[in-house]
Amino acid sequence: MSLILTSMCILPLLASVLILILPPVIGKSLSLISSAITLILTVTLVSHGGVVESLYGWLRVDSLSLVFILTVSLLYFLTVLFSIGYVRESRNRWTNTKYAKIFFSGINFFCWAMLMAPSVSSLALVWVAIEITTVISALLVALDDTDGASEAAWKYVLIASMGLGIALFATILLYYAGASVLGNTYDLYFPQLLTVAHKLSPVIVRLAFVLAVVGFGTKVGFVPVHTWLPDAHSEAPTPVSTLLSGALLAVSFYAIMRYFQVAIVATGPAFPRNVLLAFGLASLALAALYLASQRDLKRLLAYSSIEHMGILAIGMSFSAPIAVIGVLLHVLAHALAKGSAFFGAGTLVKKFGTKNINRIRAGVSRLPVSGPLFVLSILALSAFPPFGIFRSEFLIVLGGFKSNASFVTIVLVLLITVAFLGFSRHGNQVMFSPPLEGGDVTKGEVSYWMTTAMVLALLGLVVLGIHPPQQVSTLLTAAARELSVKR
Amino acid sequence: MNILSSVPSEYLGLSSALAVLVLLTEFAMLRVQFSRSQVKLYAIQSAIVTVLAVFIAVERDIPGLFIVAIISLILKVIAIPKIVMRLLDQTKVELVSSHRISVPSMILLALLLGAVGMFVIDRLPFHSHSLPTSGLSVSMAVILVSFLLVIFRSDVVSQAVGFFSLENGVSMASLVVAAGLPLVVETAFFFDLLVAVVVFGVLMRVHHQRTSTLSTEGLNRLRG
Amino acid sequence: MKIDVSVIQLLQVATVLCLSPLVSGIVTKIESRLQGRTGSRILQPYYDLYKLFKKETLVTQDSGIVFYLGPFVAFTCYLIVPMLIPVLTNFPLPLGYTGDILGGGFILALAGFAVALAAIDSKGPFAQLGSSRAMTFGALIEPAILFVTFTVALITSTDLPYAEAATIRSSFTQVIRPSHLLAMSAFFLVVLNDTGRIPVETHASTIEFGMIDEARTIEFSGPIFAIAKWGSFMKQMILYVILMNVFTVPWGLAGTKTVVSVLEAIAVLMLKAIAIGFLFALIDNSFSKLRLFKVTELTATAFLISVLAVLALFVGGG
Repeated sequence: MSLILTSMCILPLLASVLILILPPVIGKSLSLISSAITLILTVTLVSHGGVVESLYGWLRVDSLSLVFILTVSLLYFLTVLFSIGYVRESRNRWTNTKYAKIFFSGINFFCWAMLMAPSVSSLALVWVAIEITTVISALLVALDDTDGASEAAWKYVLIASMGLGIALFATILLYYAGASVLGNTYDLYFPQLLTVAHKLSPVIVRLAFVLAVVGFGTKVGFVPVHTWLPDAHSEAPTPVSTLLSGALLAVSFYAIMRYFQVAIVATGPAFPRNVLLAFGLASLALAALYLASQRDLKRLLAYSSIEHMGILAIGMSFSAPIAVIGVLLHVLAHALAKGSAFFGAGTLVKKFGTKNINRIRAGVSRLPVSGPLFVLSILALSAFPPFGIFRSEFLIVLGGFKSNASFVTIVLVLLITVAFLGFSRHGNQVMFSPPLEGGDVTKGEVSYWMTTAMVLALLGLVVLGIHPPQQVSTLLTAAARELSVKR
Repeated sequence: MNILSSVPSEYLGLSSALAVLVLLTEFAMLRVQFSRSQVKLYAIQSAIVTVLAVFIAVERDIPGLFIVAIISLILKVIAIPKIVMRLLDQTKVELVSSHRISVPSMILLALLLGAVGMFVIDRLPFHSHSLPTSGLSVSMAVILVSFLLVIFRSDVVSQAVGFFSLENGVSMASLVVAAGLPLVVETAFFFDLLVAVVVFGVLMRVHHQRTSTLSTEGLNRLRG
Repeated sequence: MKIDVSVIQLLQVATVLCLSPLVSGIVTKIESRLQGRTGSRILQPYYDLYKLFKKETLVTQDSGIVFYLGPFVAFTCYLIVPMLIPVLTNFPLPLGYTGDILGGGFILALAGFAVALAAIDSKGPFAQLGSSRAMTFGALIEPAILFVTFTVALITSTDLPYAEAATIRSSFTQVIRPSHLLAMSAFFLVVLNDTGRIPVETHASTIEFGMIDEARTIEFSGPIFAIAKWGSFMKQMILYVILMNVFTVPWGLAGTKTVVSVLEAIAVLMLKAIAIGFLFALIDNSFSKLRLFKVTELTATAFLISVLAVLALFVGGG
């Protein structure tokens, strides 16, 4: 098993380097192979379950990290599928140029960094991995080389790096808290820290936790440190937006969960939960309101991501274990749903040549396959059954009521409804309103690679919604148990 | 009051003075007019942090800090300023950076913020064997002021320098509370910083190519 | 051979009175040498004063009694301050405890006020402009002076200049503590501002628009001008003395009442004055004058450093 873990952590990096040095033609196939093998390796790890260590303990995955690794590798595979169509479609600019090379190399490297973050055992290395995701994704955001892209990339790298500076401070504080118990030689090795968590100084852990939530929260997209997120998501190439939204936000949330895990033992559960609740409510409320007034299709989806991150944070603030299971399932389901929605949006943008919602009309009739699929993705994101998000939000709401947090839960449900109203209004306009005078486009699919990615993502969502595989349920339950207070 | 009679020892006095000097350079970066001077100030600040690391390494016998100091010397005192300076050489435009609010009000604001940060950290129960814990208060102030630098100066150089100096503040904090931080981890941080610098450099260049200015005033298309 | 303390007390005043033109001459000389000029003799200020005392005083019709009195009030103030500060001795002289830093500050401020009033009473527009500017910047630098005083007071539990100097002499740890270093630098900036040097003012220029301190005496002539000029020499020396003997290098002062040690102290004082004059001349030559509205940046910096000094005392490691 440790060999599998090691190879999973090397493969995408290898692919990235190879693409960079070999001729451009192999970029697509190599990415496809790498992502498929990574997915298979991850699935093997998931079905094996339990804790796996490798490389003298530098790599270590438990159930919690596996949830995120699974999320990333699923989206990695789907995005590569989609990218093949995406790149092929813009043949004039992309194919066989150095851009395609950089693009695929970057995607692989980005996914490698996101896979590393949950796989490393030291919290310091988690920070390092997440900082690497920032810099590489900032380059990817700037790749389209437009005014908007360079503006978004600058804002993104600046705000996210400043946030991560705060997170670094949190890391050092947590090291200090640990070092006063464990001595100076430990290297923030996570399980070691957790075993002594009850001895750590509560005040310092509290400070470290708040700083970590603000710092990593910048990358998660918590309000009020979310400002880079809509820009980056809307200006990046669509496959990058997908990875940002579905995987990167989740991976950053993973870092917060690790701090949460220490904090609930060291400071008692109330404090970390309240912090997350405050950020979660703020994010959810603001995103729900902003959703209604968007004019840009990809910004719409970006605000939806903020909304869902808010839901995750609120879910973590509930004490009932079932809410935590819901949160973890939500991470997985949101990645698939947001993936398919971004794929759909990317297809629409390619088809209509604009991101402006008012100029995209009658998507359903112009895109016979991906149009309806996009509608389904929007429904899935709005937590309609039988999709996975319905199940996860249901679990979170149930957990809220079980934790005697009825008021918060009711607010949560209301805000989700408000978000749905704004979201569906735009979705409706894009898909079903009559075509614009003079702005009409011919009927037909853009690329079947892109459609395939959407179909696969939606299929996954349906599976998660109707009957998650036994292994996934076991994984989620085990991960939720790791996050519970008793130990 | 007790502080009146408590004179710090030579070691503590000197190291605190160095720490305060780091804070002063941060303030200077905030108010200085030219981008070039800002980069130079950053190099000076990094040099002071490096000296502080060497000082602690000698006085408290933590050999690992020597390596940290060497890396920090090469990277932060020499490499990063050089990269940014080269960018400035190539652009040849607008060496004066702009402020969003007047310098005195910015300094007063920074002072207020720094004071709040210092007093907040001072209330916390830190004990350190490497440096007086006051160093932590000062680094908190450095971090907060670096945020003001990013917020209130509107050119890419100032903003990038703001981020780098934020990292200096965190480095100093780590000297106080985590001087024994394992080398592997420390090196990883540095490596990361290097990557960040390269990316900052690339994006600064992209920004300059697109807008042929270093100002960020025009970055207001994306909103809502 | 011992001298009586009251004689030393008078000697302090006499030193400042007699040697201040010399200090000014030396600084001017250094400055011109740094600029590659030969410069005037270092005794030139004495000749200037002599010349002015011989001349007649011209007064505008509109001026009143204040115009005559102002320079003399200021001159008297500058004679009082040397009694309060350690000019020559490191032990307090009888009148040394009659006023603390704030007391000295008030007397200096009174002097500035008197000159400003006289300048206004001269009814000359440039003189009025100068005094209004001087008062404005004086008010802006005031917070910095206050915070320096606070720092001294917190370190020594008193705010006597002698006590501060003694504290600094007491151990090396006092010299390197951050609060002291910061208070010292803040006071340096204050002196820069108060002596009308670059970057606040080009003290040697004749361009009226940039003048601050210099403009105030523009309507004076003859003996009154001599008094005003002499006053400003003394003010400069007093500020140098406070900067050196209270904050920066309070060494080399007479420790006993013997003639030799007092004479030594005078010699050392002159050396220190030359050194500091060199520093100021260097600053004069390396920086350009700030635009008038940018002077607030300098005062803000002084304020910042002095506040940091107080902060450092509480939360910055002493």
